[in-house]
Amino acid sequence: MRWKAFPDPVHDGQRQFRRVLAAMAEPGTLQVAEAPAVPDDAAIGAALWGTLLALCDLETRLWIAPGLEAGGLIDALGFHTGCRVTAAPEEADFALVTPASLSAPAPAFAEGSDAYPDRSTTLLVVLDALAEEGPWRLAGPGIPGTRTLEVGAAAPLMRRLAANRARFPRGLDAILTCGERLAAIPRSTRLEAQALGQPQEDSACMSQ
Amino acid sequence: MNGYNFAYLDEQTKRMIRRGLLKAVAIPGYQVPFGGREMPMPYGWGTGGMQLTASILGEEDVLKVIDQGADDTTNAVSIRAFFERVAGVETTTATADANVIQTRHRIPETPLAAGQILVFQVPIPEPLRFIEPSEEETRMMHALEEYGVMHVKLYEDIARHGHIATTYAYPVKVDGRYVTDPSPIPKFDNPKLHMSEALMLFGAGREKRLYAIPPHTRVESLDFEDHPFEIQEWDAPCALCGARDSFLDEVITDDRGGRMFVCSDTDYCQNRQEEVA
Repeated sequence: MRWKAFPDPVHDGQRQFRRVLAAMAEPGTLQVAEAPAVPDDAAIGAALWGTLLALCDLETRLWIAPGLEAGGLIDALGFHTGCRVTAAPEEADFALVTPASLSAPAPAFAEGSDAYPDRSTTLLVVLDALAEEGPWRLAGPGIPGTRTLEVGAAAPLMRRLAANRARFPRGLDAILTCGERLAAIPRSTRLEAQALGQPQEDSACMSQ
Repeated sequence: MNGYNFAYLDEQTKRMIRRGLLKAVAIPGYQVPFGGREMPMPYGWGTGGMQLTASILGEEDVLKVIDQGADDTTNAVSIRAFFERVAGVETTTATADANVIQTRHRIPETPLAAGQILVFQVPIPEPLRFIEPSEEETRMMHALEEYGVMHVKLYEDIARHGHIATTYAYPVKVDGRYVTDPSPIPKFDNPKLHMSEALMLFGAGREKRLYAIPPHTRVESLDFEDHPFEIQEWDAPCALCGARDSFLDEVITDDRGGRMFVCSDTDYCQNRQEEVA
């Protein structure tokens, strides 16, 4: 099998979930996944693969942006998790995306309703860079004061997430990944671009 | 333990609850419906909290369980024994040593630290339920942020008693948006919800709802300018440890009216007694 499962699905899945939970509870903090390595021709990193293994099963529907299925991801997901792949973004519980795949025409993901805001798509984002300290300023629940984040060239994604605030409680939550690194920006986070600093050298993905 | 998955629940149920928890954290104070499972104890004994604990617990975690602040009461002892048996995790009574704390109706006196998770057992998660019995209506009230009626209820308290007479399950507003039930903790504990270091998760088993307050989140207790929110105070310190900053329980000592006031948080009280001794 080129795509590997967790060596210990129960406990490794639990650890990966706790990393995602910690990232979601404290937006802008980085977590490092200990997930199985992905095949060389995969378009996603280990942190994202581990998140899919931990959260997806036959009750979840996944939308995949063109190109990210590289390396036989869809077959591997079917085998390891049983999750269904959907072509309709509004039906997706999770969506595998890159920032570029969110530029016009943007897929119409589910944002929930005012009565059921939880019925919304969670974005699982593949980034070129991800590091603490960067040009995007985060504030809100889970953040003492402010945090900043480096996400590389991700303007369409950040515009989409910054628009969350106006529609709250409807909105999209994002789990950001880059290689083995993982962070999250839930819809409760207030996002703005601060005076641009230089992207840091160590922010690029190591494992891809 | 043979015959059960780690921490009792099956993996698919855990994943369903975990996905719900992520949404709950992303929308602080909003009640996420989840497919509650039958647990090996009756509703009202903490089945909601137990399902959350079972879904987040890992083999490295150290678990503490309290019931009204005490580690040694029936509910706390049985839930702690349950997870020792079905998950084999280490347990403790020391607040500072635990990373997961399941609680019934108290927040520990020892300040919580970053990385700790507090799991509340919740009987009725809907703060508007006693005012509006219809779930359809209360859901619409949350959607429209229509919370005037809650202030009317607090005002009626003032009209009748001269002060806000709600002393536990005192409603809060989370991050300026959702009016939320903090579970039946005494209002004494409400200030600990505000800008807490720890993640707080709430599970209601019978009502099948879960919700969350992330760390560093604004939590305001509802009040009026001329009747600001106040916490309980006592005339005397704890009779055992002398604490003046802790929530005290009244204990009847004989049948001639004898009584004493002692800390409800047994771990806090014992630590203080050992320090003095």
